[in-house]
Parts: sequence; C-alpha cells; structure tokens
Amino acid sequence: MSATTSCLTANRSATLFSTLMADEAKSIARGLQKRDPDLLDHLIELYQYRLFRYLVYITGSKERAEDFFQETWIRVLERGHQYDGKSKFEAWLFAIARHLVIDWQRSKKAQSLDSLTDPEQEHPLQFANEKEPSPLQQVLSQESEENVQASMSQIPAIYREVLVLRFQEELQIEEMAGVLSVPISTVKSRLYRGLDALRGRLQGGAAS
Amino acid sequence: MSDKIHDRAEQLIAQERVEGISPADHDWLSAHLQDCAQCANHARHTEHALRGLRTMAIPMPTGLASRTQFRVQLRLQEIREREPKRRALWLACVVSWAFGIVSAPYVWRLFQWFGERTGVPKLVWEVGFGLWWTIPALFFVIVVFMEKMRQSSESELTRQSK
Repeated sequence: MSATTSCLTANRSATLFSTLMADEAKSIARGLQKRDPDLLDHLIELYQYRLFRYLVYITGSKERAEDFFQETWIRVLERGHQYDGKSKFEAWLFAIARHLVIDWQRSKKAQSLDSLTDPEQEHPLQFANEKEPSPLQQVLSQESEENVQASMSQIPAIYREVLVLRFQEELQIEEMAGVLSVPISTVKSRLYRGLDALRGRLQGGAAS
Repeated sequence: MSDKIHDRAEQLIAQERVEGISPADHDWLSAHLQDCAQCANHARHTEHALRGLRTMAIPMPTGLASRTQFRVQLRLQEIREREPKRRALWLACVVSWAFGIVSAPYVWRLFQWFGERTGVPKLVWEVGFGLWWTIPALFFVIVVFMEKMRQSSESELTRQSK
C-alpha cells in the first residue's frame, strides 16, 4: 500500500516538475519574444556559469569563451523570437553558442568544429607545444590540479563537449542531439568514445 | 572467464552511465563485478572519472555577466531605435504594392492610350508598363539587401574589434 502511495507521489512530483519546467520555458519564450530586458538580465545571471563552462570546453580557451559568451547573449536577444519554449532553454542556448563557435571557425579556417576536432587528428584544438600547458589546461588548473581536469583537457573537443552536456549539464540524449544537430546514434557513440577516452587518460595518468 | 564476458561487462558499465541498462543486465553486471577484480576496477575508474567530471569547477571571469548585460542592453536600445524606421519602410512597401495592384489596369490603359496617341510601337509601351511595375519592387529588394549587408558587416566589425 505504502509502496503504491509513494510511487503515485513520485509520479505526481515528476508530472508537476515537468509541467513547471514547460511553463518556465513558455514564459521565457514569451519574454524573449517581447525582448524583455529584465528577463534577459535574469537569464544571463542564471545561466552564466553553465554557458561559460560549455564554451571553455568547446573553444579550449578562456578568452575566446568570454567573447563567445557575450556574442551568444547578443544572439539570444536578436533571435529570441525563434525560441518556441517547446524544448529546454539551456539546450537552445547551447545550440546558439555552438553555432557561433562553428561559424567563427569556418570563417577563420573554412573548417567546421567537427573537422577541427576530428579524433583522427593528433591533438585537435590543442596547441603545438605539448610541453606547455594548453589554454584549457591553464584554466582548469587554476582551480585544481586534479587528474580529471588534466585528462579532460587532453581529450578531443568533440568528446569533451558531449561529456559536459551529458554529465555536467545533465541533458537527455535527445536534447543533446538537438544541440549538436546530429542523430541520437552519433551522440551515443561520441559519449561512449568520450567516456572511454577520459577513463583511458585517467588510467594512463595514474599509471605514469 | 572468457574475454567476451569481460567485454560485455565493460560495455554494460559504460551503457549504464550513458543511457541506462535493464534490471536483468544490472543484476548480471553486479554479480560479475563481485567475482571479477579486473572489471570491478574498470567500473571504479569509470565512476571516478564521472565523479571528477561532475564536481569539476571552472573559475568564472569577474564581471563577465555584468559586462554582457551592459552590451545586451545597448544592443536592445539600438534595435528599439531602429524598429520604427524599419516598420515605416515595410509599411511604405506594403502600401505601394497594394496601390500598384489596384491601379495596374488603369495604368495599363493609360500606357495604351499614350502609345496610340504618340504612335509608339506596342512593344515599347508594354516594356514601359513592365518597368513601371517592376522598378519599385527591385528598389525594395535592393533596400532590404543593403539592410541585411549592413547588419552582417556590423556584427562582423563588432567581433573583429574585440
């Protein structure tokens, strides 16, 4: 009896939570449609850390992440009417940020993020001198010198990105597919490879 | 134990974290991890990696949010200042388009009458009518195109100036 009750309560809570989330997304969409300045200020405050962290991982540099952070919010202001509130706001936000980074990389090198971060290439998005710490390593080691941080900076950006979205941002695989504009199967394979790469780096680091 | 069993265990360890596994697979994996030190070690490493990933922090640059809020407000002001002009442009286009449609038969007759009066060949006054009809539309397309070009060069300049 009590198990049934707790199950029903859990179901009700889950439904209530998803309704609240949907309502929140809808109200954000309405605010963005009207270009509400207070809402924009609030969203910047609320999502600042998550967006910045995501940008640091995909650009590999704190300075570039700062530039893209500002550009992303300008784009949110300009294209806010395109957000319909049917998906999570953060998924839409990350997709905008990602597109900006890709556009910038295309304009610089006429290459996409995916080709720049092709795992077949040696140390994609890492910098020439391996003895010197990469900008990402510098950012990460400011906070702590844990092995995980060092390992994250050594794995390809394409895997870092999915690991961050799944295990830090806790996005669903379907939501990630939306952010990355790739099929669900691709997201899964990147996640498995990313997880494998991270564990491999950690084990390698521990052994050395 | 065969390699296949270890491979399956390793696959399930990853799958459990990425997309979840069935209760039957979960039971099988738990039993296997109790017997196999190598796979248990693999599971520990995976868990350690994910725990580290979840708790990892990146220092946030000071004042980034407030600087961004300031830039966003400036851009918003700019957009709002430009909005009435853009609205007027669209309104003018719509009015001229509607007027063009309504007046087309009369203008056609006017061109015809003028052609007959002056003895201008039919093809010439027909081309004249065509131009009268298309030039405002072409002008509108050019204005919209220039507006788009100006917007993209503005955003490019903003990016380059940083």
